[in-house]
Amino acid sequence: MRWTSKLRLRVLSLFRSGQVERELDEELQYHLERLIDDHVAAGLSPSEARYRALREMGGIDQRKEECRDARGLALVDSLRQDLTYARRALRKSPGFSAVAILSLAIGIGANTTIFTFVNAVLLRPLPYPESDRLVVLQEHALDSGEPLNAHPANFVEWRARARSFEALALVQTPPLNVMGSNGAEQIGRMLTTSELFRVFKVSPVLGRGFTEEETRPGSNQVVILGYGFWQRWFGGDAGVLGRQLAVPEGSLTVVGVAPPGFRIGLTEPDTFTPLTIDPANPGSTGSRAFQCYGRLASGVSLDAASAEMTAIASALRHEDPRLNKGMGVFVSGLHESLVREARPGLRLLMAVAAIVLAIACVNLAGLLMARGVGRRSEFAVRSALGAGRGRLVRQLVIESLVLSFCGGAAGIAVAFWATQALVALNAGALTAGIAEPIGLDTRCVIFTLVVSTATALVFGLVPARQASRVDPQAALREQTRGATADRRHHRVRKILVVAEVALAVVLLVGAGLLLRTLSSLVRVDLGFQPAGTLTMGLFLGLRSPETRSVVIDQILDRVEAVPGVRAAGTIQFLPLRGMTCGTGFWLEDQASSQDPSRTQPTECALVSRGYFAAMGIPVLAGRPFDRRDRMSGPRVVVVSQSFAKRYFPDGRVPGRRILVQSSNQALAEIIGVVGDVRHDGLTSDPAPTVFLLHAQTPGYITNLVVRTSGDPLTHATAVRRAIHEVEPSQAVAGMGTIEQDVMKVLARPRLQAALVTCFAVIAVVLAVIGVYGLIAYVVKLRTHEIGIRLALGATRERIFFELFRQGALLVFAGLVVGVAAAIALREMASTFVFGVTTADPLTYLVAALTFSGVALAAVIIPAHRASRVQPISALRVE
Amino acid sequence: MMGKPTDLLQGTLDLLVLKTLALEPMHGWGITLRIQQITGDVLQVRPGALYPALHRLEHQGWITARWGETSAGRRAKYYSLTRAGRLQLGRESEQWRRLSSAVTALLDTV
Repeated sequence: MRWTSKLRLRVLSLFRSGQVERELDEELQYHLERLIDDHVAAGLSPSEARYRALREMGGIDQRKEECRDARGLALVDSLRQDLTYARRALRKSPGFSAVAILSLAIGIGANTTIFTFVNAVLLRPLPYPESDRLVVLQEHALDSGEPLNAHPANFVEWRARARSFEALALVQTPPLNVMGSNGAEQIGRMLTTSELFRVFKVSPVLGRGFTEEETRPGSNQVVILGYGFWQRWFGGDAGVLGRQLAVPEGSLTVVGVAPPGFRIGLTEPDTFTPLTIDPANPGSTGSRAFQCYGRLASGVSLDAASAEMTAIASALRHEDPRLNKGMGVFVSGLHESLVREARPGLRLLMAVAAIVLAIACVNLAGLLMARGVGRRSEFAVRSALGAGRGRLVRQLVIESLVLSFCGGAAGIAVAFWATQALVALNAGALTAGIAEPIGLDTRCVIFTLVVSTATALVFGLVPARQASRVDPQAALREQTRGATADRRHHRVRKILVVAEVALAVVLLVGAGLLLRTLSSLVRVDLGFQPAGTLTMGLFLGLRSPETRSVVIDQILDRVEAVPGVRAAGTIQFLPLRGMTCGTGFWLEDQASSQDPSRTQPTECALVSRGYFAAMGIPVLAGRPFDRRDRMSGPRVVVVSQSFAKRYFPDGRVPGRRILVQSSNQALAEIIGVVGDVRHDGLTSDPAPTVFLLHAQTPGYITNLVVRTSGDPLTHATAVRRAIHEVEPSQAVAGMGTIEQDVMKVLARPRLQAALVTCFAVIAVVLAVIGVYGLIAYVVKLRTHEIGIRLALGATRERIFFELFRQGALLVFAGLVVGVAAAIALREMASTFVFGVTTADPLTYLVAALTFSGVALAAVIIPAHRASRVQPISALRVE
Repeated sequence: MMGKPTDLLQGTLDLLVLKTLALEPMHGWGITLRIQQITGDVLQVRPGALYPALHRLEHQGWITARWGETSAGRRAKYYSLTRAGRLQLGRESEQWRRLSSAVTALLDTV
């Protein structure tokens, strides 16, 4: 009870200090009046009484001061004092404060910007309940470890056997054609089994999810609408349940509406339709081309689930060797799998931003140390008046904190603008699989606060300790030259400058490596010609295989006749879009046995005639597909050069035969060999590929590739019209060019190179300012001495060289340390470079030369100024 | 005034103030008068010593303050002893008695 009233008293004193002051006044006033009365009563005149009473009271203000001291809030009061001093001191040197706050704003702002992305991508959980329980199940080849998709037959087994999951769902996202007011339109669609909403623990806004029966073959055609599509297509009609969605083959009944914003990964599906799995024959649903998502059962860890799935995979390998030879299963967190790609890039940027801030701090420390020397007499006086060293240090640290927080506040503004600029430029390059909006939130502000405080302590403590080390006598006598403290101070500053030069050089080397990587990537030979090709998606829907084949044939005929079109063809999955398909095959001599253990894996692609010409892929031997190759004719395939080299090393490839799995079991003749294509990306090695003919194995999904003369997009309307002349109800989607796809793949390396270069430039500027500052300071300090030496006959060149040498030594030392550090750290850069080694001598050399050039120029200026010193004015006492 | 008002007398001053307030609540002037009266003018407390002491005691929770009206109608700040203060008074009195008897004993030996 007592301490609460004590606390209240203290808080009152702190916040109502005005009132407390007034009361103290009144109290002492009362005492004074009674004293006066006393004296008057004893016979003195009023004025004499007052005079004596005042004398007896002593100085009223001193009494008040003592009372205040007794109130035990000395700490808070002195902190407030320090704050006032700090504000005053910073306002007195506006130039210094401006420079400091500006460099802090840039440094802290850069870090906050990158942190905003890190927060949105790596730290923020997915927007589902208990999203850390969400997992992805992927199959993978045991020897290569690269994750593949899941096969429906395996999914059925997993669902039946695994105990570690609350729910498992199988998903695929082929587009859907719907009938709109302007004919057929292609929209997004997610095929899914019934557990989808249960896995993500969301409930539909209207209606329900799919039932078990709806995912069996032959059930009624139902659809669940995506929230955005519901708004767009049905106007957000609350009575949409039961309404029909028209599709070319009939119509689908709406049974539900998904919650707003529901998606896995980047795009919100427009519609959801049931993924049909025949329990008797799950393999008939399709191939290893589906994605499996699940929710861990409560109390089950990721590792436990992994272990269980490994065991199940092993069992499945034995039970169905045809399907599962050499295949295993990965279980990974959903968030992890979405951000895996983005993580290294973000880490790189965070490290680089931190280095820039470190350089800014070092600069500031140097500046503050120089200022400290100038304020020596001020501190000497305060020290003589009783201020302890701790008090002086504290005041200087508070000055640093004020600078830092002002810089931090400005930094938040910088970060706000920079984040928006980056998002507009291309956030996708940095955020990979996360589509949530990116903006500054509370966590980012807290981050800024923490960084500002840490920054202040880093750059403030050393100068504070240096400045507070005062010898009052010496300082007051203005003996500021030649003291040991000076020498130590100078050595510290030199070390700081060498450090910041080294850091800047490291960044410069990094930027150089990334720029060279970018130029290597741009020059990668993709195996095809991106320029001048138009692409679009044609989803063929649920037609019979013959119809699909005929439709494509007719479309190709019509499109080829369009003026300006040089070639046209189709492919199931366009290169550089992240989708591939793989299968197995047997060489001719093993084909008859169809022994599962003898299959060779290979990548495959489903193309039509004219594809190679449209893509500009060279035909190296034999011939490409043409009109002769039909569904009724003998099976033909084309293979890539690496395939030919690997499996037919003797060279004569056209005419040989292979049997490709699940391509209706007939031996196919290899009719031609084409050049290798980098299908997966710029940095991947081309994989041996078998090209199957669409006319013989028609697929549902296909993309039309058209090579045109001139700008491809100008022919877009004509091509679309040609398609509609053949099939008026064919939806055409996603018109673009291959060049755009290449740009997208280059987006991340380009953005990384740009950002790191930008940071490196800032770092170099800061480091050069640091070097300049130090030499200029040395010149200023020694102006007197230089004047004497000039007067005594030293040549100006001599002075210049001496100072230049000092600066050059610093720069050189920094270069050496920087290059050594860069070499030591080169392993860390290996994920980001391509086409150069991390120890590439050319890059290092260019970086070193560039930096030296700029830094030495900065040294020349003050050195030159030193040589221009007029002896007379220097000898004049300042 | 015995010696310097700080050092020795700070602890004793606290004791005197607490004892004075044990009898009845009083304002600063009243405490000064009372101490002067009871000790027969031997101890005169300067306001410079008294008021800081009063504020310190208040902050430590031994006494509490309240604004009130004097008989002459003026506003003054009255202090009174808290229960904790009463206990503290007991402790400090005991300490003082022990100290003074020790010193007396020492002085009495020849």
